[in-house]
Parts: sequence; structure tokens; C-alpha cells
Amino acid sequence: MNHPVLARRGRLIPYLLLWVLMAGLIAAPTRMQGCTWLESLGLALPMALLGAGIGLMPYYIARFMPAGRTPMARLSTVWCIAAIVDGAFWVAAGSWISARLLSQLPGLSRLPHITAQALPFLWAFGVLLYLACAAFYYLLLAQDQAEEAEQARLRLQMLAQDAELKALRAQLNPHFLFNALNTISALTSVDALRARDMCVKLSDFLRRSLGLGERAAVALSEELELCRGYLAIEQVRFGQRLRLDWQVEPEAERALLPPLLLQPLVENAIKHGISPLPEGGEVRFEAKLDGAWVRILLENPVDSDAPRPQGLGLGLRQVRQRLLGRFGEQAAFEAGIEEGRHAVRLRFPFQTEQP
Amino acid sequence: MKTRALIVDDEELARAVVREHLAAHADIEILGEAANGFEAVKMASELKPDLVLLDVQMPKLDGFEVLALLEGEPAVIFVTAFDQHALRAFDAHAVDYLLKPFSKERFDAALDKARRAAGTKPAADLAPNLQTAAREGKPLDRIVVKDGPKVSIVPLDKLDFVQAQDDYVLLKTEGRELLKQQTLSSLESQLNPDRFIRIHRSYILNLERLVRLEQDSKEHWEAVLRDGARLPVSKTGYQRLKPLWDKA
Repeated sequence: MNHPVLARRGRLIPYLLLWVLMAGLIAAPTRMQGCTWLESLGLALPMALLGAGIGLMPYYIARFMPAGRTPMARLSTVWCIAAIVDGAFWVAAGSWISARLLSQLPGLSRLPHITAQALPFLWAFGVLLYLACAAFYYLLLAQDQAEEAEQARLRLQMLAQDAELKALRAQLNPHFLFNALNTISALTSVDALRARDMCVKLSDFLRRSLGLGERAAVALSEELELCRGYLAIEQVRFGQRLRLDWQVEPEAERALLPPLLLQPLVENAIKHGISPLPEGGEVRFEAKLDGAWVRILLENPVDSDAPRPQGLGLGLRQVRQRLLGRFGEQAAFEAGIEEGRHAVRLRFPFQTEQP
Repeated sequence: MKTRALIVDDEELARAVVREHLAAHADIEILGEAANGFEAVKMASELKPDLVLLDVQMPKLDGFEVLALLEGEPAVIFVTAFDQHALRAFDAHAVDYLLKPFSKERFDAALDKARRAAGTKPAADLAPNLQTAAREGKPLDRIVVKDGPKVSIVPLDKLDFVQAQDDYVLLKTEGRELLKQQTLSSLESQLNPDRFIRIHRSYILNLERLVRLEQDSKEHWEAVLRDGARLPVSKTGYQRLKPLWDKA
């Protein structure tokens, strides 16, 4: 059983300092009643030392009688008895030390007498101190519990983040994968070299997406590499139907962002902007620096026959959450139809890896 | 006699694989290829194929919508990159399907099955069931109707009400009337029951169109719609409609 005071230096030192203060509180009145310095300290130091030891005990009682879950009557009875008994023990042990050990020393022959006189005061003081210790342990326990809860919350958050990333990776959806494999299957007899090239593209993309997901933040350049890998595969599938307008400022590429933030957006653009249109269309991607901000725009055509989406879809919501999760209020996320095209706009602070 | 086949897929390369596999069978004649749902319906009604190899995800109309609009009774093989899970429903309805990418053996087996089934399977009736299953219980957001040679898409928020007419349903949408071959119950099961309410044996009403309810006799009500139309409401229909109407 780890004692909360002994286990942490940050608590042990203040605890001992408090007992030095207690020693002063015991010494002061005797000194005022005409005892010598030596006599006052002879009384106070052993008492304080003993007290520091005994003061550790109430923790074990506090632990087994949680304040909130023990009936008040039982709580007060146990504590009163414990305080009186331990107070008595404290005084008795102190008297024994002063009478049997210290009184032999030169200049301390009056000590047993002084101790005997101070006995009622010391006992009462001991009981109060004991109860104060009990209250103090309840506070510590509450604090530890709060810390534990906070840690559990953080652990949960980490787990959720983990799960989220796993989900994101799983979102590199089977449909995409099977379609890509089907394209390869088609190419093998028509154009073996292109089939091989497609295999390489697909492997590159998969490897990259697995690698990026492990990290907390990636450079925009890496994320875009992944997006381009994805688009290269879809390009083979859709051919002329997929047209790209890709405009990225080189300075912006150093910006850090959560991994797999943009890839789902690009995937969305294909799924809702190219795939439903017989003629396909143009996907426009823009990334630029604007002072201390990075601005990203992703635009795709929409199928006028498709029902208008109600609010953000799951994919967009996740991207928004992760963006705000990383940058908080500083980031902005907008998505909607602008002049017949679907546009997603991201803005977040320009942060880079320290060189 | 040769089996006449139509290939439907929006990806050129995906059509190429199917073409290649079909070429190995001397008894199959490829009638043509369609790159989207509209084209597929149009070509099918002109060319009357015996066999349709049908992609599921396509522009304009998806594979299920195309299936529902196919005339005659061609054998249909779905070709899809869906995962197996979504396709359990297909097994139940004995429609054959190919999962992309597929092997020659699997393709040939599907073809054999289709040859045997050609002309015997009322495929179109299955379409609503398959569609519902593939959408994993999500209600429909539009209805497609073949209107002569043309295909019309009716977004559900434009639908006023539906009236049963024998084996057909009459869709009333913003002043237009469209006839679709489907039973009212089958359509009802595909619609979101909180928005589209079966108010009568012969009617499904879009709740948004309702202006007021009038009681005619003890057990008979009338629904008055935004455009002034009046529809009969039966007792059970009233019990369904009332709580939703009070909430709205």
C-alpha cells in the first residue's frame, strides 16, 4: 500500500515542515512559562517526531472508510475513538521518552515534571492534530481520485483517437480497393505494363496511408503525396472523366496537419463529384499561405439530380472534428454548394516542424 | 440461337474485362455497352437483350434502378465491388452476382446460371427488395420511373402522394402524374414511414403536403393537401397519421 505522503517528495517535505512548525507550537508555551530553550526543545522535538510518525496512520483508516460512502455516525465514532486513543498513545510515548531517556541528560532533569504538567494540553492538542490529519488525508484521497479520473479520461481520449484513426484507415474503403484491383485485372490482358504500374501505384498508396496514420502530425507535402497517389489510381479507373486542377504553393507544403485529413476529402470529391457524373468533371485543389494561415480549397462538381445533402456527411464531420481537435478555435472549416459546385474550405495556423 | 448480352458499367476498363470473358463463349453475342444507367435502360428497351451484366454503382441510375426499369425478362448478373456483406440479400433472391475482381471460372459459372435462368426469372420484381437490402435499411431518397422512352427521376421531396392502380402506382408530383409498375405495399416498405404515410388502402401521403384533416363521418376523414386536393383517410390511416400530424 503506497502512502500518499511517503510516496511523493512533493508532499513529504511540506508534511515534515508542518511538524517543525508543530514543534514550535509545543515549545513556545513552555518557554513562556519559564523553561529553558533546552527544556522546551527537549519536550517539543521528540513529540513532533513521534507525531510525524503517528500522523501517517489516519490515512489507512481514511482509505477504508471513504467519506462519501460511510454513515456519518460511524465515521464520527471511529474518528473520535481513534483520535483519543492515538492522542493518549502519543502523550504516553512522549512522557516515557522524556522520563526514561532524556532526563538522564545534563540540563534536562526537570523534563519529566514539565511533561507531566503539559500532559492535558498535549493530549488535547494531539486529538486535534489527529483529526486534522484525517481531514488532510480525505483531501489527498479526493485529489488522487480526481487525478486518476483525469488520467483515465486522457487514456480514453487516446484510445478514441486511436480508434478514430483505425476507422479512418478502414475508410480507405474496400470498394475503392476492389475497384482498383478490378482495373488491374482488366489491364493485365490489354496492357501488362500499365497493369504493373497500377500495382505499384496501389502498393505505394497503401504503404503511405498505413505509415501516415501512425503519426500525430504530418507535413502537408506528405499528405498531398498520399492524395496524389490516390488520385493516380482513380485516374486510371475514370480516365478522361477525372480532370484535375492542382495548385499548391511550395511554401505551404511545410505546414503541419493531422494525418489523413485531406485524403478523405479527395475521396469524397471523387465519390460525389466524379463517379455520379457520366461526363465526369474537374476537381480543383488549392493550398496556399495567407499570412500566418494555411488555406485549403477543394472543389468538385455535383450531380444536379442527386438529393442535396442534409448537413455534413460522416466523412466531412470527422475531418472537421479532427481539424478543430488539433487547432481548436484557430481553425475554420466550411463546406457547401457554391455556384453549383461543392466546395470545402479549411483554414488553420501555419506551423512547421522545428528544423 | 445466340444469347444476346448487354454490358453495363461506367468504367471502360471494367467493361473490357467483361467483354474479354464473354468473348470466350461462342454462344454469346455482345449487343452493346452502356456507360450509365440512362443509356442502359434506353439500350435495353431498344435491343431487348437476353442477358444484362449490370454494374451496381453508376452515374444517373444505379444498378437496382436499372433493374427495376428493364423491360422483358432478361437474365441479370450484377457485377459489383460491393463487399460480400452487402450482398447477402442477393443470395436470398438467387440473383447471381460477380464480385470485382472475379476469376474466369466464377464468371463462367455465373454465365451458366444465367443461361439456365434466361426468360424464366421475373427480375424486375426483385429490384425493390435488392435495393432496400443494399441500402442497408436506409429509406429511399428518389423514385425512378420509365415514362415512354424517357426515364424520370422523382426526388421524394417533390412527391405529393401515391395512388394505387392495380399493379401500378400513380405518383403525383408537382402537377405531374407518373405511372410506375410496382405495388403500393412494396413502395410503402421502401419509404420512410415518418414522412410518407399509408393513409388508405390506396393512398400514401407525403406528410409535408398536408394542410388539414376534416372528419366526414364517424370513421371517415379527408386529408386536404396544399394544392387543394382531397384524399380519403381510413380509420387505420387516421390512427397512423394523427400522432405524426400532431407532432408536425
